[in-house]
Amino acid sequence: MPTYAHHVPAAPRTLDSIRIADADLRAALEGRRHLLFDGGMGTMLQAAGLAAGALPELLCLSDPDAITRIHAAYVAAGSEVVTTNTFGANALKLDGRAEVEEVYQAATACARAAGARYVAGDIGPLGALLRPLGTMSFDEAYGQFARCARAAADAGCDLIVIETMTDLAEIKAAVLAAKDVCDLPIFATMTFEADGRTFLGTSPAIAAVTLDALGVEVLGINCSLGPSELRPFARDMLAATAKPVMVQANAGLPHIEDGCTVFDIGPDAYRDDVAAMVADGVGIIGGCCGTDPRHIEQLARIIAGRAPEPRRAPGSLTVTSAQGLVELPAEGRRIAVIGERINPTGKKRLQAALREGSIDYVVGQGISQQEQGADILDVNVGLPGLDEPALIARAVEALQGATLLPLQIDSTDVRAIEAGVRAYAGKPIINSVNGSREALDAVLPLAAHYGCNVIGLTLDEDGIPATAEGRIAIARRIIDEAARYGIGRDRILIDCLVMTASTNQQQVGQILDAVARCRAELGVHCALGVSNVSFGLPARSLLNSTFLAAAFGAGLDAPIMNPGSARYMDTVRSYRVLNGEDDGSGAYIERYATWSDPYTTPAGASIEAPGAGAPDAPIAPGSQSPVEELHHLVLTGRKADVPARVRQLLAGYGALDIIDHMLIPALDEVGERFDRGTFFLPQLMASAEAARAGFDTIRDAMPAGDVADKGRIALATVKGDIHDIGKNIVKMLLENYGYHVFDLGRDVDPLAVLDAVRTHDIPLVGLSALMTTTVASMEETIAILRREAPGVRVFVGGAVLTPEYAQQIGADFYAKDAAESARIAERVFSS
Amino acid sequence: MGADAARAASELHASMVWKPSADELPELSRPEMLRYLGYTGQQLGPDLARRIDEAAELAVADARPAGAFRTFGVDAAGVDANGAPCIHLAGSGIELRGRDIFRHLKDAVGCAVLCCTLGMGTERRMRVLSASDPLAATLYDAACSAYVEDAVDALEARIRSTGSARGLSTNWRFSCGYGDCPLDAQPSLLDALNAARLLGVAPTPSNLLVPCKSVTALIGLFDGPASDADTRPSCAICRQSNACPYRSRGLVCYS
Repeated sequence: MPTYAHHVPAAPRTLDSIRIADADLRAALEGRRHLLFDGGMGTMLQAAGLAAGALPELLCLSDPDAITRIHAAYVAAGSEVVTTNTFGANALKLDGRAEVEEVYQAATACARAAGARYVAGDIGPLGALLRPLGTMSFDEAYGQFARCARAAADAGCDLIVIETMTDLAEIKAAVLAAKDVCDLPIFATMTFEADGRTFLGTSPAIAAVTLDALGVEVLGINCSLGPSELRPFARDMLAATAKPVMVQANAGLPHIEDGCTVFDIGPDAYRDDVAAMVADGVGIIGGCCGTDPRHIEQLARIIAGRAPEPRRAPGSLTVTSAQGLVELPAEGRRIAVIGERINPTGKKRLQAALREGSIDYVVGQGISQQEQGADILDVNVGLPGLDEPALIARAVEALQGATLLPLQIDSTDVRAIEAGVRAYAGKPIINSVNGSREALDAVLPLAAHYGCNVIGLTLDEDGIPATAEGRIAIARRIIDEAARYGIGRDRILIDCLVMTASTNQQQVGQILDAVARCRAELGVHCALGVSNVSFGLPARSLLNSTFLAAAFGAGLDAPIMNPGSARYMDTVRSYRVLNGEDDGSGAYIERYATWSDPYTTPAGASIEAPGAGAPDAPIAPGSQSPVEELHHLVLTGRKADVPARVRQLLAGYGALDIIDHMLIPALDEVGERFDRGTFFLPQLMASAEAARAGFDTIRDAMPAGDVADKGRIALATVKGDIHDIGKNIVKMLLENYGYHVFDLGRDVDPLAVLDAVRTHDIPLVGLSALMTTTVASMEETIAILRREAPGVRVFVGGAVLTPEYAQQIGADFYAKDAAESARIAERVFSS
Repeated sequence: MGADAARAASELHASMVWKPSADELPELSRPEMLRYLGYTGQQLGPDLARRIDEAAELAVADARPAGAFRTFGVDAAGVDANGAPCIHLAGSGIELRGRDIFRHLKDAVGCAVLCCTLGMGTERRMRVLSASDPLAATLYDAACSAYVEDAVDALEARIRSTGSARGLSTNWRFSCGYGDCPLDAQPSLLDALNAARLLGVAPTPSNLLVPCKSVTALIGLFDGPASDADTRPSCAICRQSNACPYRSRGLVCYS
């Protein structure tokens, strides 16, 4: 497959920068003229006897006349646009049976031969799921789509239609590819289930704002359901974008009549339902599964002599993930909390996790901020010496699999920003650009090309202006410059930059003034990192929360803050009442009805106490010593009580004593009970959790570095295998024995295992495979390790392995379960 | 084969979507879930019992069980690329290799191909739990494994009754990967069902299914008594029987 280098164009995409066949098509793209597509192709071919699962695209080569006849029937019925029979004509689906290019050539020729006024080069889904939930990489998908789009353009199509997509990442890959390799108008549609979401959770509004920002000319809905069910979805799209919206509905649902598949909505009923959508504002129509030329004939009547009403852009700022949408309205106010915890500055554990490539820790930070009430997650993984573009791409991918929140890509490295936003399924925020020429030239093209919002910092080559006036001047410059790239005010957040009250007390008022003027004079939304204001002063959270309230009053929309601070979130939630966005104060009442005000705690109690953790519970009466007690707690998996016991024990015992003579023996006993069958797996894991709570308590109490790890182990589920439960169980147990585990994930390439072994100097590798078919890649991984890193020992596990099989593929050890893997590690690291 | 029966079989020829209504929703089988966890009657503390309950409830809440099925005529006269007898399903690109599936379908007039999934919600939750709580992830995984089997049981029952309404008997539910039937037929099964579009189920390059909690299966339809009716996935045809974690404890993986 040829590779396609992507590039970010310096000039924005507009109707003048693309090739539009004629004035009528241009009018349709401008929303001034209706356009009629064709109807179902697959259902017509199946009705004619096409085998189930067979590739209809090959008929363009083997029986072009049959395809041309179907197209011609649609042209006769009034279709202005004929869609090529290339829905599955990508290299993956064709699988060597034909070349992509020859199929597009033949398919376009069929459409032309039928007398089509405009030919739409059709691009459907690849049939493979993208990461993180699937296994295909974004760049591979991009490459496949680029080949299709180029083939369509080379074959002479007038436009590209990307359709029936369910994955926002996949449609983004297709749109970017089409933008990069050709200059044709792009129509992009997704397909939704009855619950108003795609299979991957994307709503019509999310699809609309994301595709709009990516620069497609037309967006919409196809397939899915019948036209009456699609009407509310189309309305959601119409409300979210000013671009032309296209709908190609199915003719209802299929059912069986006299042994034939028929759809339950006839042409007349179909016309009436589509007419309602056209009245709502849908500009471009056609049919999908179950529709035929009779339906199209009826659709032609709807739009005859009619032109769409002009539509207005909603003006609100929207940030999306594949499943979530945050909207800051143009009129009225809504607060969106941007969680700032994924940023290594001053955070030792996050720094260590990033240096090890432990993305799970980053994901954990994302999940906890989501639970704490963040609306958007800032993602910054910049540390000296690390490959920030690669790391941010991994972090963004993993966060998308585990949280619903839209992301804000935060870096000072333009390559990292691009790596973060490119494969992101949604419309993120870029943090940030500023008023300097260099930043504007580097960042704004990325924001335009990848369909992002952008935070503009009010600083430039001369630093941060001292006055509100100076800040506003820079904000204005950023807004004007962004406009040149087609980035409107609805995609910009201005950050007026907080100064420290202890050194710049006079400026605090200037900052608040600048926020108010950004909103009032410039009509843009505002973001602000609040915590700097208190630097150098005591009781920082008090000052910060007061400043936060003042900034809300001035017009701040999006504070960048730690949602884990109850104090800040109290301010946010109470301001949402005053701001009128917490309807009927419902959320506030639910949260605070039984709240106990820390200022009214009984005399003597510390106001700060709630955050400091509960005091240690006394030891329960009984004959057990604290040592026996801890052993028992681990054995029974009661992790909640472990930290208190360990803290008590630390008064009389050394850390190593507690680990080697209390926690580890308890875990060993758990392992033996598991072997005997008196414990089953969840009990083993619950005990491991309890021991972990003990280790964490010891680690927190000791100066860093005092508790050395027992050895480094890499774990991976091998290439081709996506089952990682077993591997995760082993990881948990090994960590709780004190080993330093590098979790390489699932579907791991053999070379990635080698790379980790070399980078982190790892002597022991554990490989997991659940399927017979993936043991081969286990064998390959071992062979590569043997050749390239001969000192490394390997243990293997998984349902299909046996001791003999393990030996046969060259492993050093066979671990029948997690407890066994701990014993193997003990043997390797004690020798 | 009887002509009527053949026609009856082909009457099911469209890919039908199955979305259980609220009262049709399967119940999660708790004993099955515990069996996946290796439970053999150990004493459960209240903490763990509660967490097992929570995982089961979460799985049911996240799952959107859905299925698709379609019936094809069976052609047992062909051979595969190695010249071995194999099954072709008429009007589809499906070729099923191996002795076990051949025995399963060779006398059938039709074969119901089905796919059932819990959807992407459970898949996503699995990612969250894997990153944050390994024990919860393990419990949840077992709950979903049990629940997708419950869902596919319900779909199978639906197919049996559809078949019996047409005078056809059915044998058991065979899946690729059983015995010597290779997984590489998976993509063709999904394509024939249009499962990517109808259910959002896609194969990986190694022929696993995403979402992971998805199942494809093949049920023979017979004019008269079903052949191979009572065989079940058993240790006798299992290629993993030597290394089986269940067998090592005197258990079997099938109920």
